[in-house]
Amino acid sequence: MDPLKHIVAGQHVILKLPSNNSKIVELKPDGSISLGKFGSFNVNDILGYALGTTFEIYYNEENQETNQTNKNKNPVGQVRVIDNSKDTSANEESRATSEENDLNSMDSSLSNKNLINVGNEIQKMTMDEIEQLKKQSVSGNEIIAKMIESHGSFHQKTSHSQEKYLKRKKQKFSKRFTVNYLSSSALLSFLLEKGDIQRVMDMSEESMGMLLNLANIRSNGTYLCMDGTGGLLVYFLLERMFGGDIKTKFTGKIVVIHENEHPNLDLLKFSNYPEEFIRDHVKTISILDYFEPPTVEEIQQGFTPLSKEEVHEMKGNRRNAYFRRLKLYKGQLEMVDYATKVQYDGLVVATTLSLPSLIPRLSEHVHGSRPIVCYSQFKETLLELSHTLYDDLRFLAPSIVETRCRPYQTIRGKLHPLMTMRGGGGYLLSCNRVIPAPEPEPVQAKGSEEPIETLKKQKTE
Amino acid sequence: MTCFTEYKDLIQEGDLTLIWISRNNIRAVVMKAGENFNTRYGSFPHNDMIGKPYGSQIAIRTKGSNKFAFIHVLQPTPELWTLSLPHRTQIVYTPDSSYIIERMNCGPNARVIEAGTGSGSFSHAFARSAQKLFTYEFHQVRYEQALEEFKDHGILGDASKYGENVTITHRDVCENGFRIKQNDTTSFEFGEDEEIEAKINANVIFLDLPAPWDAIPNLNDVIASDEKVGLCCFSPCIEQVDKTLEALEKYGWTDVEMVEVQGKQYESRRQMVRTLDDALNRLKDIKSHKLEGVERRKRLLNETINESCGIDDGSVDDKRPSTGKTKFNPFGKGFRVKEGDKEFKWKDVTKVESEIKSHTSYLTFASKIVKKDRLA
Repeated sequence: MDPLKHIVAGQHVILKLPSNNSKIVELKPDGSISLGKFGSFNVNDILGYALGTTFEIYYNEENQETNQTNKNKNPVGQVRVIDNSKDTSANEESRATSEENDLNSMDSSLSNKNLINVGNEIQKMTMDEIEQLKKQSVSGNEIIAKMIESHGSFHQKTSHSQEKYLKRKKQKFSKRFTVNYLSSSALLSFLLEKGDIQRVMDMSEESMGMLLNLANIRSNGTYLCMDGTGGLLVYFLLERMFGGDIKTKFTGKIVVIHENEHPNLDLLKFSNYPEEFIRDHVKTISILDYFEPPTVEEIQQGFTPLSKEEVHEMKGNRRNAYFRRLKLYKGQLEMVDYATKVQYDGLVVATTLSLPSLIPRLSEHVHGSRPIVCYSQFKETLLELSHTLYDDLRFLAPSIVETRCRPYQTIRGKLHPLMTMRGGGGYLLSCNRVIPAPEPEPVQAKGSEEPIETLKKQKTE
Repeated sequence: MTCFTEYKDLIQEGDLTLIWISRNNIRAVVMKAGENFNTRYGSFPHNDMIGKPYGSQIAIRTKGSNKFAFIHVLQPTPELWTLSLPHRTQIVYTPDSSYIIERMNCGPNARVIEAGTGSGSFSHAFARSAQKLFTYEFHQVRYEQALEEFKDHGILGDASKYGENVTITHRDVCENGFRIKQNDTTSFEFGEDEEIEAKINANVIFLDLPAPWDAIPNLNDVIASDEKVGLCCFSPCIEQVDKTLEALEKYGWTDVEMVEVQGKQYESRRQMVRTLDDALNRLKDIKSHKLEGVERRKRLLNETINESCGIDDGSVDDKRPSTGKTKFNPFGKGFRVKEGDKEFKWKDVTKVESEIKSHTSYLTFASKIVKKDRLA
């Protein structure tokens, strides 16, 4: 089984709930997962299906009773696979329960002129009765069907409003959930949904997609990165570079510069990359070590590697201590290389540090022709940066861009942009690192400025 | 050639480079020793570029005047390549293409179908991010051009080598589907285990076709059956979206959502800070000069009268009016002030580019899982 295609044990996945909220869970084998009012299910029951599969929790009498012993716990139900498609080309028996099918047998009104709002009384079923039904564990659809039956004026609603009613009730009573792959975009939308907008710096999927493309992120690059989101940006890079494949043959690396003493890549805990993988592909250096790295001599003063024979003679404890120090030593040497020798294939930044002082310095080790892309929640900070970069000949054509995705209500015959959507989404500044030609002869010094302008502004044809 | 697949350090003979003249003028140039790159400002010898690191600025003295002209030599990326294409061609631009790639989670595991190839601009972006790209073009001439271009760019191949992962096929996918067999007009090389037919197993589909609903029924033959498959249709008209939705529903696609992407670029500009006080003081200054002038003229008139009366105190020359110029000019009126001139105070501002792409196309996304049964 491929954890990139199928639901496997031990994996983090993101569940889509009927309420449209999502939840990240780790699939511990033999464990169970509670979805609150939507019910609970056993992890083992969903393993082996394709990622993206929708399940429905159902209860039958026997397993109901066995669970009654533990009153506080949500009773664990069984699951069945739901076929959301209305595939009419296939002839297998499908459990398709689309809104249309549900409504086909219903009367509806052409207009709502006869509909009078009498509030809750229109529903003949009482709360208790509905609760009772839920306890009896009839499927969500059956409950909804009963509610419609006992709804006094359902037939007076227009078919459009009937659909809306169904959708609302389904969100409430349906016990369906979809198990999705935890992509970087899914993690972002989870964090936004949960209200962590400040933490993710108001990013949007479209801004991140654009950042990755403009920065030309690929599997074999070495990228310099500052991530003020606690690992989300790094996760976007990792997913684009390796696609969750922990056996990847690609050698790409992300060097993360952090402003605190210790790096914060907390969000990677949700990812399915094991620690060793992250250690191999993500290197972290503090801004202090990056901009003012120790010299090799300084590092060597603190530690001298011993010869094989000497190590061989060491006793257990001492040898372990030696290896620990050796590892640290090697790590430090590697860090010095990343701070001084490596030429980066791109610079991507999402930080609240002031950019005009940061970017020119971080760009020193970016190779010529490679992209520099900064994300900011605010256009003004990028504006300030763009003026600074304009005056610096090492940066070619800094541009501030904005991208916004506008979702539509996607129902045939009723297509229109959604009435409300998330605002925000931030801005990007992108440019290419270039290497200025050597200063022209002093006599021409004045003239040298003008042609750049003329060339920048005019077309040559 | 590896210009699209590997990060290169130095510009080498035979490299395809992108020469940046201005934002709207980027040219694809293959480096050949002894040749020149000509602009209206003069010729840039390739020899000046070869051997220098990518990103180098190249300077020459312009013809006639004793000035310098500059260009930058860049290594191509799919995004720069898109910018270098003539604007008259229909291109999927970066705001759309980057969103599609991100939303369909198109990474190193993606096996992508693209129909049609068109200018090949999006193909480059797919090829960079995906494991494998199968692209289809029904127009014979465009097929051949794209085939040549992919060959030149070193991205054609079966993905056994990194980055060489594009297969292009001459095909009307609406009529004849997506399967690639022996004797088809295709760049696909039939190997041992794929003697008769290519194994496509696509998990990402992008349809940029006038009638995607005719191609959707044909997808079943070539999509991966054991995983979730993502689909995106790119259509400019809402009527097309409606027909697409019908087909998607009929053929078992779910999670259908249509969106629109709007990209905007901002110019960084500066606006002069012109305070009320300065404006008041300037007017006061003008007024006082005016008064001075009136006084002076009065005086002069009196003097002339006096003169004609024969009274001459010999001071006429001193009293000759010197044309009083306004001294207080805080906003540089009457001069050409360059934006950002250090003599004045400025505020950083942005301005949306004067023409924006207000509509590119509607993006209709959907997904499908063919086999819903459980693996042991």
